[in-house]
Amino acid sequence: MKMKRIKRYQRFIFTKFFFVTIVLFSAFPGSSQTSSLTVISNQKGAPATLNFSELKSIFMGEQQRWRSGTKITIALMKTNTAAGKNTSETLYGMSGDELNKFWLALVFQGKASAPNFFNSASELENFVAQNPGAIGIVDQVAANDEIKTVQVEGKKL
Amino acid sequence: MISKKTTAIFFLLFLFTVFFSLSSSAQNTQIKGFADVLTSYQNGKASFGFDEQDLFITSELTDRISFLGESVFKYTPSSPTDFSVSIERLIIKYNFQGNNNLILGKIHSPINYWNNTYHHGRVFYPTIGRPLLFAAEIIPLHTTGISLQGHDFGKLRFGYDVVIGNGLGSAPVQDNDKRKSVTVAAHIKPVDNLYLGVSWYNDAVSKGATVMGKVIGWKVNQNLFTGSVAYFGNKFELLTEGTLGIDKTDTTGSKNTLAAYLYTGYKVTEKLIPYIRLDDLQYQNGEIYFTKNNTTSVIAGLRYQINYLAVVKLEFQHQHAEVEGNTNSITAQFAVGF
Repeated sequence: MKMKRIKRYQRFIFTKFFFVTIVLFSAFPGSSQTSSLTVISNQKGAPATLNFSELKSIFMGEQQRWRSGTKITIALMKTNTAAGKNTSETLYGMSGDELNKFWLALVFQGKASAPNFFNSASELENFVAQNPGAIGIVDQVAANDEIKTVQVEGKKL
Repeated sequence: MISKKTTAIFFLLFLFTVFFSLSSSAQNTQIKGFADVLTSYQNGKASFGFDEQDLFITSELTDRISFLGESVFKYTPSSPTDFSVSIERLIIKYNFQGNNNLILGKIHSPINYWNNTYHHGRVFYPTIGRPLLFAAEIIPLHTTGISLQGHDFGKLRFGYDVVIGNGLGSAPVQDNDKRKSVTVAAHIKPVDNLYLGVSWYNDAVSKGATVMGKVIGWKVNQNLFTGSVAYFGNKFELLTEGTLGIDKTDTTGSKNTLAAYLYTGYKVTEKLIPYIRLDDLQYQNGEIYFTKNNTTSVIAGLRYQINYLAVVKLEFQHQHAEVEGNTNSITAQFAVGF
């Protein structure tokens, strides 16, 4: 009798643990899932909306000035960060290594100025805030009056 | 072809625009470089060696003015120290509107894709060395002068280069004659990773000028026509270029030289790329400007990209030349960027 009660209690504990685990897993999606990216810009420079092909052209160094004549300065997360890897794949369609090679080659050819790479979103945001014409991509945006968020049409980042 | 007056006007225009664009801006200077080491096996003998050490400097001087310098340190048997330093590029660029630039200085002639893309950065080369048309000096690698350059216009991403330079036989600091070389190049990139380009180069080499280490005994009028196709996709790589050189002298008339190569590679993985390259140099009988030496070559190789700053390549090359006959060699290279 006593043994039966112990077994029932063990089954209850196991079932409870199983459900708690399921609930926890569904509450925290896996870290392998890529978070969405946000395009930010200095108040002076980018328009409020860009379509995806325009955005890609800017980040590939093909368009180097805004319509106002202000020089475009690119800010990216380093390719060894999660946001940097996500940017390489989503926007450039490249691995982080390929992206680094792409930019090294372009600068070596004298065709474009090197982008500025950052370790953290806050560093990148500060850079964009302080440099007219700067545009960057981050995975999390802190509220900041000196930067604006650019809406991207045509493809979800 | 281009008068002194026109050149002077271009120069004054350049100074004028530079003067009026000197707005204050924080200077941003970067120094980077490339180097490689080699080992090769040929004629029963193994050798170790290295190519060049290449340093390049880029500096943003103002919002519109930038500098790029490329200097190479290399083995030079004629130097007392066995080594020499050469300035390969010295470029002051003024961005006058959108993607249009005015460039003054010494540049790599924008005649073909390889010369205008890889420069001396062996870590970028898809093969260990340059195609044979470089060693045969079919195209003038450098031009010192003034140029207009633009890129990525419209849906086709059109680009252009117009260069007026000192021309063949000149020193980097002074022209040896009144004639100027002219280069006109255009390209499009209709889809991602695809480049289609054409160029025309014209120059007159004065009698008595020294070019490629030899004294030219006749006045030579040279036209070079080049076509380029480059595709570097996620899996497949193709680069093929051909140059038709027409050298005309009063005594021999026009003689044609055809130089071409085809490179193709396939990415088995992102890092591992087997490849082949075929080279062909054909000179017309009676050619007196180039050293006639009809040559064909086949290269089969393997490239392993450790990361974007380190590449290992292994190649077998079979070459047949009119003068040297058949040669076979195996070469391995470790190229780095730093």
